[in-house]
Amino acid sequence: MNVFRRLTRRPSLELDDIQATVLRARPEPYFGTHAILEITDPGGGRELLRRLAPLVPSAAHWDEPRASWLALALSYHGLEALGVPEGTLASFPANFRAGMAARAERLRDTGPNAPANWEFPFGTPHVHVAVTIFADSETAWRNEVAAYERQLHDLAGVRLLSHQDFGATGFNVFGYRDGFSQPVVEGSGAERLPGGGRPVKAGEFVLGYPSETGQALPAPGPDVLGRNGTYVVFRKYHSHVAAFNRFLHDNARTEAERELLAAKLVGRWRSGAPLALAPEADNPALGEDSRQINNFGYRDDPRGLRTPLGSHIRRMNPRDGKLEVLSDVNIRRIIRRSTSYGQPLPATDLRDDRESRGLDFIALGARAIDNVEFLQSEWVNSGNFTGLGKEKDPLISLQDKGAYFTVPGSPPRRIQNIQSFNTLLGGEYFFMPSLSAINWLSR
Amino acid sequence: MSEQNPQVRFQNLPATVRDRVNEAMSDAKVVFKVKVGELLVNRKETAEHAVTGAGRIGAKSGEISELTLIAELKPGGAERLRRFFKLIDGNLAGAGQVGTLHNMRFVFLDNDTKLLFATAYDGEWDPYIDDFATKIPEMMDYIFSNMEGWPGITSPEVKEYIVTRQVPAEAWYVSQPHLTVAEESRLLRQDVTLQRFLTELN
Repeated sequence: MNVFRRLTRRPSLELDDIQATVLRARPEPYFGTHAILEITDPGGGRELLRRLAPLVPSAAHWDEPRASWLALALSYHGLEALGVPEGTLASFPANFRAGMAARAERLRDTGPNAPANWEFPFGTPHVHVAVTIFADSETAWRNEVAAYERQLHDLAGVRLLSHQDFGATGFNVFGYRDGFSQPVVEGSGAERLPGGGRPVKAGEFVLGYPSETGQALPAPGPDVLGRNGTYVVFRKYHSHVAAFNRFLHDNARTEAERELLAAKLVGRWRSGAPLALAPEADNPALGEDSRQINNFGYRDDPRGLRTPLGSHIRRMNPRDGKLEVLSDVNIRRIIRRSTSYGQPLPATDLRDDRESRGLDFIALGARAIDNVEFLQSEWVNSGNFTGLGKEKDPLISLQDKGAYFTVPGSPPRRIQNIQSFNTLLGGEYFFMPSLSAINWLSR
Repeated sequence: MSEQNPQVRFQNLPATVRDRVNEAMSDAKVVFKVKVGELLVNRKETAEHAVTGAGRIGAKSGEISELTLIAELKPGGAERLRRFFKLIDGNLAGAGQVGTLHNMRFVFLDNDTKLLFATAYDGEWDPYIDDFATKIPEMMDYIFSNMEGWPGITSPEVKEYIVTRQVPAEAWYVSQPHLTVAEESRLLRQDVTLQRFLTELN
């Protein structure tokens, strides 16, 4: 699928100061690396920012393909380690300062998802800088990684904590097309695609611009630090694909029935074609068509007979569907830059091969931290907002013992013993500074 | 067991429970001490009504949280609010659209100088305040701008304003702690269907 939107209006945002990743779509196929660094000396940290700054492109010309690019973000501990003044540190919001691990209760990250079970270095005070490299070919990826590693090579005061490669064709490890539903950021100049919703105020995604309230959302100061920056939520999941495949086999007899049940959980077929437009069977042509893949709403399906109320995509983006609780869906949009790692497991494989595979969930936005906390408690790990009581998201929630999923119909079908198909391996909250803020922080 | 003499029943409670009850309420009549002691022993009943935190501030039982706010009124604020409440006969039916409010009340205190606002709501403190700021800002500001220092519902200071004036409950009871407003609506719809079915059956 062509992942690039056209530029149809003159951009009004300061694109040459905003990091490319904020507006640049993930290529298809994509290759890349997530690295996490620790700053052990403030001078070394500032030198790191000075060296990496030239590798971080801006969002200007975000609509044109680019072979590779680098994104850079800092945790609260990272800002501290850089020696940022106390008054500036205090101007960041409380949940960012606390960090994801400290927010576990609010995020419903308990049991197997609790910070005590996370991979190193997640949840430790050593996580300071996140570097992500995106590329559209293996060669471009290797070159970009080499260029970044050259800058790191002889640098004192900075320590590499983790280096995780990722890459996929645009389909996740469960075999589903992903990453193609994005909000239209007002002022980016991006064309509107059918069903993608109205443009959402730029201040919801980039600090320093009016948000949906009419005012700019709170930003850290001084202005050079906050303006054109945004927040990043990173959550690394291990995917239990064999368990998902077994669940389908245990609850459906034929391949067609299994694929329909899977589509009822997700809200889409593997191709990306939505149940709303293809209720009976997959329609791969729909999944390939960026103008059709989101061209639907839920107003004509209030009971969820086509797209279940509890399906993953209907929970994560309720569009025009009626909800039980007063909610503004336009302030809950996030820019999604998630990446898949590991090899997909075919739907026929029912045995866990113990390979490492999953999803790095990445959300960007001025409210990204508030929104992921909101999503985790309200839309993922509860069903109350859509009248489903304690039912949870079928893909990314932490399911309790005896959990079930309801497929609406006459009669409805209640499928017992749904398990958690993704386990959290760790995560962090980051601040993604503008290019001028990187420069300011490096001094 | 309930037929037994209260003294005997009290002595039959575990020593740790007896000690805790004696220490906290030494001056209570033994009949009441027995009731409290037996409740403390009955973990199933107390677990169902366990009081947890509503997030930033306030108590929560099951799915339902409490919020009590006491704020100073601006001069003329009580009068302005009274006119509004009189216009609608004290009927806040429109609040139903929020979908998480079980009840709410506005009470004028201290010779109309202070307002007490109290509500029982579903979920936790933080999630939906941002939605109020973009979905019902006019209503929020009309009512709460009568209070001294109200920064406006879209202000970044609004959560801080509420937190500093909220008085968390020390004890909190909800008869059906897992029945949210959405669940109540669902059960009522089901009951209508069931009653119609029974009527038509005969």
